[in-house]
Amino acid sequence: MTGDLHGTATGTLGGRLSRMSLAIVALSIGLGAGAFVPTCLASDFVLRLGSEGLLLGMLALSVAFLMNQAGLVALGAASIYGGAGYLFAIGMSEWGLTPAAALCTGFLIIVAYVIVLGALIVRTNPLAFMMLTLAAGEMISHAVLLEGLRDYTGGADGLLVQLKGSILGIDVADLADPARFWSMAWIVAVLAGLAFWGIARSRLGAVLRAVRANEERMRFSGFNTFVPRLIGYVLVNVVAAIAGFLHVLNAGFVSPESLGLSVSTNALVAALMGGIVGSLGPILGGLIFAFAQDEFGARGLTQLLTGVAIVVFIVVFPRGVVGGLSSALGLFGWRREAS
Amino acid sequence: MLRIEELSVSYGSVRALTDVDLDVRGDGVLHGVIGPNGAGKSTLLDAICGRRRPTAGTVRYCGEDITRRSISWRRRQGMARSFQRTSIFEDLTVHEQLDLVAQHLGDDRLDDVIEVMDLGSHLDQKAGRIAYGVQRRVDVALALIGRPRLLLMDEPGAGLSATETLRLFEHVRDLVRERAIAAVVVEHDVDAVFACCSMVTVLDLGRHLATGAPEAIRADHRVIAAYLGTAA
Repeated sequence: MTGDLHGTATGTLGGRLSRMSLAIVALSIGLGAGAFVPTCLASDFVLRLGSEGLLLGMLALSVAFLMNQAGLVALGAASIYGGAGYLFAIGMSEWGLTPAAALCTGFLIIVAYVIVLGALIVRTNPLAFMMLTLAAGEMISHAVLLEGLRDYTGGADGLLVQLKGSILGIDVADLADPARFWSMAWIVAVLAGLAFWGIARSRLGAVLRAVRANEERMRFSGFNTFVPRLIGYVLVNVVAAIAGFLHVLNAGFVSPESLGLSVSTNALVAALMGGIVGSLGPILGGLIFAFAQDEFGARGLTQLLTGVAIVVFIVVFPRGVVGGLSSALGLFGWRREAS
Repeated sequence: MLRIEELSVSYGSVRALTDVDLDVRGDGVLHGVIGPNGAGKSTLLDAICGRRRPTAGTVRYCGEDITRRSISWRRRQGMARSFQRTSIFEDLTVHEQLDLVAQHLGDDRLDDVIEVMDLGSHLDQKAGRIAYGVQRRVDVALALIGRPRLLLMDEPGAGLSATETLRLFEHVRDLVRERAIAAVVVEHDVDAVFACCSMVTVLDLGRHLATGAPEAIRADHRVIAAYLGTAA
């Protein structure tokens, strides 16, 4: 009997270890293959488009995580994305900082801003939260156009960035190459996805979901419901800021359009298209959205076809592409078992 | 353990409670609060647990004025509450939610709570998919985690049959005695209250009407006139 129990326990532990090893190997292969195979097969144009899709996917990931874990819809993701880009660009172009110093400075300013904003808005109800993120985002997007800040922001013309120097040993000028940038964006997007996957399975994820489900009961269970929400809000905006830094490194340029509401709504749509549960859906949604926009643009009917596509996607895949596919696979598995 | 002094609560221009006093001693006391609809019973519980801020008066818990303390602070100090409308985490399994709260409150005797509330056979079920009576027990179990010193229960018998209500009251009474804690129970089922509570307070139109042992309350002519009627 004891032997059986011991055997079962060992087997379970062994099973877990082997599953974990398998997951690490599969992840390493996926990370490497995703970073380098497309650079051999795809044209520069496709790689650029794919990189834009990955950046949008990272924004969608941040929007989806907050929706899924905390039940909060943010409409101000672009203000963090574009704001981080502006700070990074100003740091390098106006303040003469090295890329690494500009990145750190921009990161600290954005995190401080997000903590202050989050402290004000995460206590509110979901509708008020959505409107407040929208208002804060619009405020930032108009602030960069102020005449008094034109010397720093370039006003409506935006800001051109001289990419020189290196970050973590990578020459930033090299990132103008579509293949190298794709590899960088892929690795960062996958790591961000993994980080959110892990957070969703951590205690913080469990507390966020419980607060979303029944905030009052959480307070009556002795939990502080404010701090976990604030941490969640800061974390998703860190990812949005990283996407903003990458955007500047790729484009060498930042403009008021990157702060616009359309970027925030595109991220929301990408998240809904891909599926908000998990990390794969939003990133896939970003890629689908970027390629679809290009295809629709080529026909000169971007807005019309985008609208039709959104309606079709949401009707056909109410839980997003990934949610729909996993349901279909589940159904297929059930049928196989039944037969 | 709990002392309420001249507590008043208003909803705009409507006074839900007026100058209510209540004294609940510890050590195994199950204190029932009864009264007709609109008497202010749930409002009293809301004011005690911090859900509603009183317009006047004080709430003292273990000698300390806690009138302005937060709900989560009160919970961490051992004041727990269950709800009239079951308040649980429907998307989590019974065990997940009990474990989440137990970890937070540092309670390593979760098995005791599961056993007392007879939830052992429902642990892996999503709370939203179990029978209402079991959901009520989960609601009470969430309040029992962390070895509370004062348990506040708002109509624990709501939605249950008279037999189930009586059984739940007996459970709570035994628990309160065994752990030498105190419980304040608001309930419409006066039979269960008189059968299990050691002290009873009657509210009427937001005012304190009487407090005493069940027999004394049952015989009090003011309580009979205002609430119990001659049938009681």
